[in-house]
Amino acid sequence: MHFCYYGTESAAVWWNDSYTIPAAKHSVSLTDDHPLERIQKMASANAVVIFSISTCCMCHAVKRLFSGMGVSPTVHEIDQDPTRQADLETALLRLLGGGSSPVPAVFIGGKLVGSMDSVMASHISGTLVPLLKQAGALWL
Amino acid sequence: MFPSWPIRFHHHTPVVGSSKSGGGGGGGEESTDSGSAANTLSTTVPESPVSTKPSSSDHHHLQPPQMDGAGGFSQSHQTAGRQTPEKTLRRLAQNREAARKSRLRKKAYVQQLESSRIRLTQLEQDLHRARSQGIFLGGGGVAGGSISSGGAIFDMEYARWLDEDLRHMSELRTAVQAHLTDGDLRVIVDAYISHYDEIFRLKGVAAKSDVFHLITGMWATPAERCFLWMGGFRPSDLIKMLISQLDPLTEQQIMGIYGLQQTSQQAEDALSQGLEQLQQSLIDTIANGSINDSMHHMAVALGKLANLEGFVRQADNLRQQTLHQLRRILTVRQAARCFLVIGEYYGRLRALSSLWASRPREALQMADDNSCQTTTDLHMVQSSQNQFSNF
Repeated sequence: MHFCYYGTESAAVWWNDSYTIPAAKHSVSLTDDHPLERIQKMASANAVVIFSISTCCMCHAVKRLFSGMGVSPTVHEIDQDPTRQADLETALLRLLGGGSSPVPAVFIGGKLVGSMDSVMASHISGTLVPLLKQAGALWL
Repeated sequence: MFPSWPIRFHHHTPVVGSSKSGGGGGGGEESTDSGSAANTLSTTVPESPVSTKPSSSDHHHLQPPQMDGAGGFSQSHQTAGRQTPEKTLRRLAQNREAARKSRLRKKAYVQQLESSRIRLTQLEQDLHRARSQGIFLGGGGVAGGSISSGGAIFDMEYARWLDEDLRHMSELRTAVQAHLTDGDLRVIVDAYISHYDEIFRLKGVAAKSDVFHLITGMWATPAERCFLWMGGFRPSDLIKMLISQLDPLTEQQIMGIYGLQQTSQQAEDALSQGLEQLQQSLIDTIANGSINDSMHHMAVALGKLANLEGFVRQADNLRQQTLHQLRRILTVRQAARCFLVIGEYYGRLRALSSLWASRPREALQMADDNSCQTTTDLHMVQSSQNQFSNF
């Protein structure tokens, strides 16, 4: 399992390129059912993946941003399965490095880009489009 | 407040046989016990012992001609018999007198208004100061038109930031003209970027305590408020303005600037659509609140309102990123000139607001002449304002 991301430092404690899980040492057992594992699986499945809540207006904004660029992201509304929502929210919040909201959380090419501010900063600085092209979400 | 009768009538309060006059009623006595201050004027002429009810035509014969300034009390009315011209003259005199009283009243009223206004602004300043110092006591927003402590604090910090801005601008101007080395210029340019970073940080703090103050633009001048987008300037508008003002750019720079215009436009559209959804959601919540469930609906609405802060934050984030990207695209020298253009532009916009606020409106100033002139003047103001509204 190899989950790199493109974001904050605190998540780097969890995930980096050379991270391996010594079976006995770690208190966290990353089974298939673990939220982080599930997130990673969902994030790697498509070029652009957005974790969202159906009533969240900032999530709506980030979806509009991508569709405005001609990108069709895969959206996971985590409130669709209320039994798992809380776990996913905690996990996403941790991945985003704290902050006010677990959603929206944007992954491109399996890598975490971040929330709305990171996505906008990346777009303004011109790094978002190359990233999208690299992931196959955008063509010339 | 002011006697509606001309002062002279005070002389004619009944004294004949009146118990008011105390000892001795009867004629020849001055009506000094009426207590009117006006009686001090009538020291010279004793009253004749006639009925003191002011008769139509001849009472003013008895009137000591001491009224000044009215310009009307000629002695010519002493000729008896010609009632019509006397009546006319008396009427004219009374009119003049009434007009004079009216002017004096108006003057006093205006002076009262002026001093009240000064007192009010002083009170407001004291209140703002007190509130801003009182924020640690948990001062929240005040309903109605008053400013909240968070808003007042931000206004003060923004005023300080504007002064700083002037200082930065003059420093940039001198630096550009002095042909400094790139290294030295870079220091000044980066300082200006930090200066902008600072206002975005302050706005972030203000958004937490009073997002409405930011989003309604009460901290900005009216002309800036006109172009307000999500609590500040619209980045794509700024880029559009700059495209025409910047130095000759390289091909790559031009691509970069147009790219920046496009990406900022896209980000603005996305945020605007998100905000629209929030507003719609809020409308639905408020409209569908039932009487039985009103508290719950209010709580839900409050929760939704809290999201406003996020949008203002993202909008400021966008503004900040746009400025940083400008810095990256341009050379140090170009960036210095670019920021001078930006500072100059907003300075002019603010100046426009001041000029608008103090534009000549002499028609509204109270003339010292007849008050009936004011009505015509108001008509003039209304028609000129219609001209402005078509602008």
